[in-house]
This record gives sequence, C-alpha cells and structure tokens, in this order.
Amino acid sequence: MWLVIGIGWRRELATSILAHLDEIDVLEVMAEEYLHANASERRALRFLATQVPVVVHATSLGLASTEAVDRKRLDALARLLDWLQPRFWSEHLAFVRAGGIEVGHLAAPPRNDETLHGLMRNVDEARRVTGSLPVLENVATLVEPPFSRYGEAEWLNAVTRATGCRLLLDLHNLYANATNFGFDAYATLRAIPREAIGAVHLAGGRRIEGERVLDDHLHAVPNEVFAMLTELAPEVPVILERDGRYPQFDELLGELRRARTACMSSSS
Amino acid sequence: MHVQQFLARLYTDGALLERFVAEPYATAREEGFDEEAAREFAAMDAESLKLAARSFAGKRAGRGDHR
Repeated sequence: MWLVIGIGWRRELATSILAHLDEIDVLEVMAEEYLHANASERRALRFLATQVPVVVHATSLGLASTEAVDRKRLDALARLLDWLQPRFWSEHLAFVRAGGIEVGHLAAPPRNDETLHGLMRNVDEARRVTGSLPVLENVATLVEPPFSRYGEAEWLNAVTRATGCRLLLDLHNLYANATNFGFDAYATLRAIPREAIGAVHLAGGRRIEGERVLDDHLHAVPNEVFAMLTELAPEVPVILERDGRYPQFDELLGELRRARTACMSSSS
Repeated sequence: MHVQQFLARLYTDGALLERFVAEPYATAREEGFDEEAAREFAAMDAESLKLAARSFAGKRAGRGDHR
C-alpha cells in the first residue's frame, strides 16, 4: 500500500518541514498566500515543488454560494495553478460572502437543492477557468444551517454526484459536526463511497461553551479523529493542518507518524 | 433578501443579531421573509448563532478559527 502523508506548508514551519522531508510525502499550500506572489516567491515555491509534491488549498472562492463565484479570484487562482502545477487543488463546501457582505471565513450553507445548484454552477465555472475540478472539503460549523434538507452524508454524496468532484474529507470537521449536532460520525464515514474521497484532512480544535467543538487548527489532533482515520483506512493523501500555536515540530512529526501508522494498521 | 445574505448579515452585524436573538420570527419577517421562512429562521439555536458570529468576528480580526 502506498501511503501519502503530508502537512500544510506554513512559513513558521518551513525550516522544520524542509529538515524532515523524508517523513513528508506532500505539502499543502494555501492558495490565498500566493495568489499575488512576486517572482522571488514563485521561484521559491516552484523549487519547493521540485523537492516534494504540492497541492493547493483555497479558502476564499465560496463555491457553495448561491451567488456566482468572483471571476477575479478565479483568474488569480488559475494563474497560481498554472505556474505551480500542483497535483490537485481544493476548496470548501462553504459560502464566504453574500450580498456584498464578507463573512470573514467559511460559513456552512443550507444543505439543500438551491445551494447545490449554485455549487454546480460555480464548480463548472471554476473548472472552465482553471482547467481542472477542485476537490471539495466538508466544513465544520457551530450553527446548523437553516433550510437544510440533506443530512451530512446525504449532502456530501449529493455534492460528489452533482459536481463530479471528489471529497477532501476533513475528519475533524466531521467529528466537530457530529459532536455539535448529535449524529454518528462513523455512520457518515460508512455512507460515503470510498471512490468519492480524494484526500483527507486531519486537524484539532477545542471544546467551547455547551461542549461544542470549535475546529480552530490550533490544537493537537484528538484521539477520536485518529480512530476515524483508522476506520477509514484511506488510500489517498492524508494532510495535517496546523495554523498556529505551533508546538515543537517533533509533536507534529509524531502526529504524522501516528497518521501513517493508523493507515497502515487499518490496511493490514 | 436571500437566505445566505441574511445569514451573512447575522454573522457580521451585531445589532441585527441582537435584535434577531430577542425576536427571531419578527425580525425575519421585518427583513422580508414570508411566514414559513421566518419560522425556519426562528428555529435556529440562538446560542449557536451567537457563538458562530463571535467565531467569524475573531477570524475577521485575525485570530484563529476553522478552515
């Protein structure tokens, strides 16, 4: 079995990542940090891509919006994909703006047919402009979107069928939503066809008021998420996301090793 | 007004959120939604909505959140 275990490329972790490329199979680059990269930054990132496979992760398109995706952002992303040539690119099943209002981050949309139609239109436009389909990530939410007519698994399956995209299955987002809204994360895992999963995210968060889980990427991956990874046994890239409060890099290496072990043990 | 637009306003406009939490159905109606839609908005969990709005505000202010 060929395992691909990687980590999000962060400037704060760059030195440590470069020193441990023997344990890192893929790097995930945040699109928004390089959409307007200068020549020097492009050279550096292209060189990095010669050392280790890279994938691109976007957060600002708002593909699951009922409004049309912003063409300037798409054009900028297309240029990035063209000069970097990543293995794939991904975006979230979220809206980030509506009616000229910027939410500031990823908002879970109503899981219904209206959102699905907007998503299909936006994914089609993204494919037309960039030349490739994104891998789509399930999002965590603290509030159940009103007007939702699909459950989580039903929604993710409807999305992959309607768009032709594969999923970037974020196990912590799934864990957070299952905790916050009282559904069975494992039943959701089992309901998603294996071939629909293109990559997996691991991350950590924290408990906040009312025992809800906030997916903040500032804490260690919890045991529950590693257990889900073992259950899933993915044969696609597994990428660790950490966005701040960085621990000693050994701790992150430990999480990568644990992810590799989880995937290997589940395949035996 | 569209559903996502109203949600975006609830996540970003503290005064509107306060008004909505106090009187969700009436606020949704005042914003132009019909009775059925207003009932759907009114069924949202107010505590979760406030937490989400706070989380988005933190993100806009540059603090960590979910991705």
